[in-house]
Amino acid sequence: MPETGSTNSKPARSGMVPVTRQFFYFSEMGYNAYPTEVAEQYGYTNLLFPNSIFDPDTARDLWQMFLREHEFASEVGFDGSVCNEHHNSVLSMQASVNVSAAVLTQRIKGKIALIGNPLPIHDNPVRVAEEIAMLDLISGGRIISGFVRGTGVEQLSTNANPAYNRERFEEAYQLILKTWTEPGPFRWEGKHYHLRVVNPWQLPLQKPHPPVWAASILSPETIRWAAKQRITYLVLGSALEATATCREIYHEIAEQDGWTPTAEHLGYLIHTCVMDTDEEAFEQGRHHYGISTGLGRTGFSASALTHGTGSAGSTASGPHPEWMSPPGYMTKQAKAGAMATQRRKFEGTYEDANRAGLIVTGGPETIIQKFKHIIDRTDPGYFVFWAREGKKTHEATMRGIELLGTEVMPALRDHVSALVTGKEVTPWPE
Amino acid sequence: MAGVTDAPTELLVQAAGIDVELRRGGEGVPVLFIHGELGVPGWLESHQRLANSFDVIVPSLPGYGQSTRPDWIMGARDVAAWITWLARDLDIRTPVNLVGCSLGGWIAAEIATIAPQFVDKMVLVGAMGLKPEKGEIFDYFLESGNVGLTRAFHRPDESAEYARFYGKELTPDDADVIEQHREMTCRVAWKPYMHSLTLAPLLSGVETETLIVWGAEDAIAPLDCGERYRQAIAGSRLVTINDCGHMPEMEKPEEFAALIQEFFGA
Repeated sequence: MPETGSTNSKPARSGMVPVTRQFFYFSEMGYNAYPTEVAEQYGYTNLLFPNSIFDPDTARDLWQMFLREHEFASEVGFDGSVCNEHHNSVLSMQASVNVSAAVLTQRIKGKIALIGNPLPIHDNPVRVAEEIAMLDLISGGRIISGFVRGTGVEQLSTNANPAYNRERFEEAYQLILKTWTEPGPFRWEGKHYHLRVVNPWQLPLQKPHPPVWAASILSPETIRWAAKQRITYLVLGSALEATATCREIYHEIAEQDGWTPTAEHLGYLIHTCVMDTDEEAFEQGRHHYGISTGLGRTGFSASALTHGTGSAGSTASGPHPEWMSPPGYMTKQAKAGAMATQRRKFEGTYEDANRAGLIVTGGPETIIQKFKHIIDRTDPGYFVFWAREGKKTHEATMRGIELLGTEVMPALRDHVSALVTGKEVTPWPE
Repeated sequence: MAGVTDAPTELLVQAAGIDVELRRGGEGVPVLFIHGELGVPGWLESHQRLANSFDVIVPSLPGYGQSTRPDWIMGARDVAAWITWLARDLDIRTPVNLVGCSLGGWIAAEIATIAPQFVDKMVLVGAMGLKPEKGEIFDYFLESGNVGLTRAFHRPDESAEYARFYGKELTPDDADVIEQHREMTCRVAWKPYMHSLTLAPLLSGVETETLIVWGAEDAIAPLDCGERYRQAIAGSRLVTINDCGHMPEMEKPEEFAALIQEFFGA
């Protein structure tokens, strides 16, 4: 984390520096037990999807299963786990990323990356800074602090004004950074946040503060912002071509500012399904797109998150578009830009999604070759394997985690990208 | 009615700190017409009817139409103060007659509370600003712009104004304008949604002669909002227009204009 981070910091002097790649485990920990026919009836599974369908006993059992999967990922050699936050959605049961992270500090050995705290929905960012400091202290400095704008739905769930989403994000971010790095007490009287005493007792263990990631779904503005801050940008579940574009945008901004990013400035969260054979992995991968639930029939998207696939229960029409993009949440330019096309619904089949790298499936040998191709094209310092989704069974998930840890990750850890070596790109297996 | 679609003076003027899209027509006593959250799509039949008796002045509010958006405007009261500034810059004689529709009605009511000397008489049309005790103000932001627009009319299919301005296939530019209006509305009316907690008590001190006009079938702002206004403003009168939704100024221009002409004393 050059400039602002503390761990993993390397001088940002050259993009040609090979890095030791790190691997994280991720699952949305979604409530996958909703009745499919009810979701079909409503046409969506978030915001106004009635919570009378929610069953606490089922959710309790799901929590134990999901947490055990995180724990197992740690046991088989993952460098860390990733947690996040969503509201009013079956997509994820994580109503607080900081609560998820607190639990994970006790269950896993490695790092815990928060992707992240949705800053605009908070009215007191100092509270967020305090909670992350607590996590960093309790975990002994294992926290990576991602910040996000929250999806459009989150603005509606929490009544956060979407027209001020980006302003609030940027102001909250500045306030949190200042809280972590400048001695209190001080006063903050900005546009959206007003605290006459900023002086939280607890500060992070990592200095100057935990590494910061920005994460988004093909938002050129967020990529530019991350590049300006020189922090790691995490691509959320986008196709390979789009991810390569994200990297290019980041590097262009950095070049204009006179510095060269390293692999550690890019993270790639990607749907991953490895099983013992290609065929088995391909079939299990359908869970990631909700196909096995009968939903998500008509197409995927540039990002699984955009259209709420997998446990989110993408319906024939996808999530309500007005909820994903309430007024002012995205600028006109962002809506109209080149990435807007990629962000829109992916019209291909599940097979096409496999070819596009929206989901990577295969037995160990195949998937290793696929990931070498991806590394050769994009060189992310951090892979986040989104390795459990939908109604995939616990057994299948555990087997996938085991194969990732014991076979896939060791083969990829030191693979130097063709972007660094200048050698030929590993071919995508047919 | 002859001349309905004729454009009056249509200008982009620099006033009150921004570029203001301004439509103006007719002669006589000035009437300042404050549009609602859906913006003002052009010179309306009701504007033209009023222009037969008055000098009708229809600005696009900051952030609506071609009027630029100053980022400091974050609430209805800010817009209210801005209107008084605009009137000064346009040399409009005060006190002036106000017509405020929906969000514009809320803004007119705010003006009456903060600058009573500015207002002669006012007409509040399907006005936002007060929380109803019966029913709820429609949440525009859970639905698309087009859904909100259609819902604002009781019978969009039978409205000539709806057909004229909204009945055609939307171009991408039209869609952008709708989104621009929605964003500006979020900026000023997000929380509390479309109402103020301090307006009702302040209206107790208002002596402005007020006519409240409501579409009987308003599916955006419940008729009870009109009742709240009637109770809050001493001596005010609430008139409903039958077979009419949230936008009498577009759906029932003849009845709407007649009511206002009578009230302002054409």
